[in-house]
Amino acid sequence: MMNGVVVALGFVAQLAAGTVPSKGAAPSEALGTSSSQPPSSTSRQPLPQLDASRFDTLTLLSLRSQLEIAVENGLPTAPLINLALEGSARRAGGAKILQVVRDHMAAMSHARDVLGAKSSADELDAGARALRAGIDMRTLSSIRDTRQIGGAVIPLTVLTDIVGRGVPEREARDAVAAIAKMPTSDEALRGLQLTVAKNTIRGPGMAVDAMNRYLRATISGANPLAAPVSPDRKPNRPPPP
Amino acid sequence: MTDRRVLSIAPDDPDDGDIAARFASLYTATPPPAAEQVEQCVRAVRAGSMHMATRRAPFGIPATRWWWGAAAAAVLITATTKPWRGRAVATQADSSFTAAVSNAAMRGTVTSIDGGAVEFDIVLPLAARHVAIVGDFNGWDVKASPMVRGRGDKTWSARIPLAPGRHTYAFVIDGERWIVDPLAPQVDGDDGYGPANALVLATPSS
Repeated sequence: MMNGVVVALGFVAQLAAGTVPSKGAAPSEALGTSSSQPPSSTSRQPLPQLDASRFDTLTLLSLRSQLEIAVENGLPTAPLINLALEGSARRAGGAKILQVVRDHMAAMSHARDVLGAKSSADELDAGARALRAGIDMRTLSSIRDTRQIGGAVIPLTVLTDIVGRGVPEREARDAVAAIAKMPTSDEALRGLQLTVAKNTIRGPGMAVDAMNRYLRATISGANPLAAPVSPDRKPNRPPPP
Repeated sequence: MTDRRVLSIAPDDPDDGDIAARFASLYTATPPPAAEQVEQCVRAVRAGSMHMATRRAPFGIPATRWWWGAAAAAVLITATTKPWRGRAVATQADSSFTAAVSNAAMRGTVTSIDGGAVEFDIVLPLAARHVAIVGDFNGWDVKASPMVRGRGDKTWSARIPLAPGRHTYAFVIDGERWIVDPLAPQVDGDDGYGPANALVLATPSS
């Protein structure tokens, strides 16, 4: 009886320390160091580690099982580990962390269906965040068509940002897709995002207006930043009777 | 028996002198109050006075009613102004309006530096004791990458070595308040934990 209690206490201590090997996958796989995940074409950052000391036992076990499912499905685990660590740093509850990780994993799976199985981890992460922001899958597909594998990260990030700032999705998609088709257009996309961000303070209509003027200047070959960011024109009043 | 007459003054009565005489006669005809009435009035005034000491408290402190009123006012003023709050807390935003103003006045810049490092600068219009940058590059650890206070006491900067790829980050003020750069690309609205900035670093060859 006493021995059983001691064994149980030891097992609980091992769980708390995160040293219990997970079932069905090697610990290295569960910690995001698996070689089966899609290769990140641009990222050389060391993969994040799931710090067991930042989670309670129940949350940690659930996270490990979620990571195992991601590995089995061929999804990258680094974005999921980052989300878990972010939730821990923001002092979110275990249930909230698990919900966010689960939702993001499902969104990454949908994003892979749209962007292609050979997409990089950064692309899947950006696509998943775009889907969670409410962007349509057909919009993601149109952005995918503008860039090769591994090059759709910036268009997806800019699209998610400007849609989140109030620009209608259809107009944002057309603008981003038009610029993304141009060669070496990453800087132009960053300028588009900054233009929208600056004009959002004045209202969504002003942001769309500035975006269209930026788009026309970019496509016509003129310096887009030379165009006025905001019109500041006088209102057209009707002539006095 | 006192002759009590009722005054009936017509609005258009032009004879003011007659009215004054009738008032004077009425006043002189009123009998003086009784001694019991005078004593009753004096007791009521004493009981209702704020400056009248009613009893003696221990230690010689006069327990007058005005003293209790002053103590209540001091408690109210202290609870309102909260002088025990720190400087940063007192100057930080306490309302959504102030927070919106501070976010509008806040601006940040991200500068890529040769050698794979990125410098993050942020200008905070409000006072802060310490600012840190957190992101996927440091495991979202608040203590991993503190920012250095720059010129003007409002500029904070940090230089982070980053590999090419996509990074998300945010700023933490005084270990509690998470903010994002309003002009940089933002990710995660309501579905996640809160907003964060996104940064994409291209490969040097591209």
